Amino acid sequence: MVTFKNVFKSFGEIKALSDVSFEIKKGEFVFLTGPSGSGKTTLLKLILREYLPDSGEILLEGNSITDLKNSQVPVLRQKIGTVFQDLKILPERTVKENIEVALAVVGLSEDQWKARLDDILKWVNLDNRAGLFPAQLSGGELQRVSIARALVVNPQLILADEPTGNLDWETSIGIMDLLLKINKEGKTVIMATHNQMIIGKYDKRIIHLEKGKLVEKKSEDKKMKTRVEEV
Amino acid sequence: MSGISFKTATSYIKRSPFQALSAVFVLSLTFFVGTIMALLVYSSSQVINYFETRPQVIAFLKSDSTPEVISALQNKLATDSRVKKVKYVSKEEALSIYKKATSDNPLLSELVSPSIFPASLEFSVNNLEFATTVIEEVKKEPIVSEIGYTASLGGEKSLQDVVTRLKTATFYLRMGGGVFVGILGLTSFLILMVIIGMRVSARKGEIEILELIGATKSFIRSPIVLEAFIYSLVGVFIGWLLAFIFFLYLTPSILSYFGEIPVLPKEPVNIFILLAIVLGVELLAGCILALSGSMMALSRARQVK
Repeated sequence: MVTFKNVFKSFGEIKALSDVSFEIKKGEFVFLTGPSGSGKTTLLKLILREYLPDSGEILLEGNSITDLKNSQVPVLRQKIGTVFQDLKILPERTVKENIEVALAVVGLSEDQWKARLDDILKWVNLDNRAGLFPAQLSGGELQRVSIARALVVNPQLILADEPTGNLDWETSIGIMDLLLKINKEGKTVIMATHNQMIIGKYDKRIIHLEKGKLVEKKSEDKKMKTRVEEV
Repeated sequence: MSGISFKTATSYIKRSPFQALSAVFVLSLTFFVGTIMALLVYSSSQVINYFETRPQVIAFLKSDSTPEVISALQNKLATDSRVKKVKYVSKEEALSIYKKATSDNPLLSELVSPSIFPASLEFSVNNLEFATTVIEEVKKEPIVSEIGYTASLGGEKSLQDVVTRLKTATFYLRMGGGVFVGILGLTSFLILMVIIGMRVSARKGEIEILELIGATKSFIRSPIVLEAFIYSLVGVFIGWLLAFIFFLYLTPSILSYFGEIPVLPKEPVNIFILLAIVLGVELLAGCILALSGSMMALSRARQVK
């Protein structure tokens, strides 16, 4: 699904990613871990073509996204559901309208919206919040709006950048349950997080970054799990 | 996409009604003046055309002229490219014209007979610049006794002076009106650009989010361009409607003041057709204004970004 081949990315003197190579298969759930500034967000932004790598190649479903023309970038992004670290919810639109925007962006006709909206709002348990504005919602609810907007277009790849950041444990577990549910439906999920408790709780593959370098890559990191249990 | 774009555009307008009002007000004023100017230009053209197409020159013929030589001169004038609308007026026709002109005083017409009116050849010139030369040439014709002009209005020596004065006045009217409409048009364009520019700045965050979730350029731009179109088209319609009401109110006075000079179409249907043409042209101008203003504001915002 996603392949990084010797990817380098730097911002001036700062090396954000250095010779990163990995492959994520279709239907996998992968934690992208590492301390703040290790390059997690940069890596997700590269997949979303927000940035271009300095060198190396990034493939999505076998197609290089580094060679994409600018006019094709929206098509790429429409295939990816993204839960942003800062949520990026439109503040002047209601929950329903925020989700509708994603449907409009992919060009789905309006008569198909209602069914999808009802389904997704129920799925994220926001069906009684549809008419509210972002300012009227809690942090967890906002996170769920962001997830709903990412999922409503039925993408095959979900990028979630710190979706449990700043949330209490219970809410975080609720968000994780949603992401796991999506993954069970066959969708690939890449979740960037530095929350060790979350990583330890779930038995998923980890791609670990340290100062822009891939230092660990495993499907069952028992050492880390043990460490988390100790914490 | 057009449905959501329209919904978004109207929601922007509702959120900042005073910006919308100022845009519509300036555009309405521009198109109101534009409509009035268009009608003035039409009417002034009609007045000039009226005077230009009247028989400007009358060549009075000697009473002993035979039909053959008259016909020869008529044909000669008709084939002259500088001359148009050559008409032979017989003595009898001249009398009937005289009688018609003096119908309010029958005594005057009873005292005259056809023999005192000379037959004549009436004609116009295509361009008044040719008038002097043509007149001089016609004067030399042996059957021509005298040359006259159809009007001597306002103390002018000849019709040419009248038309020259009219043309000068019309030129200044068109120039002045054009400059005024141009200034108003430019003001409208700038106001539209500023408002759309403000809208783009205010929406920067939203535009960024839309780009990240895969919105195309046209998806992002269309509500903004549509908003400019709404302002512009509403402005055109209000401006035109006000001018239309104003025009309908003044039409009877205009028609009675100018009398037989057709400053406006005589048939009401033709007046509506004229106004519909003006509306059509203004709608086109409004679209160009909206499109250029919004695209310029968008490209400027992109450069700033």
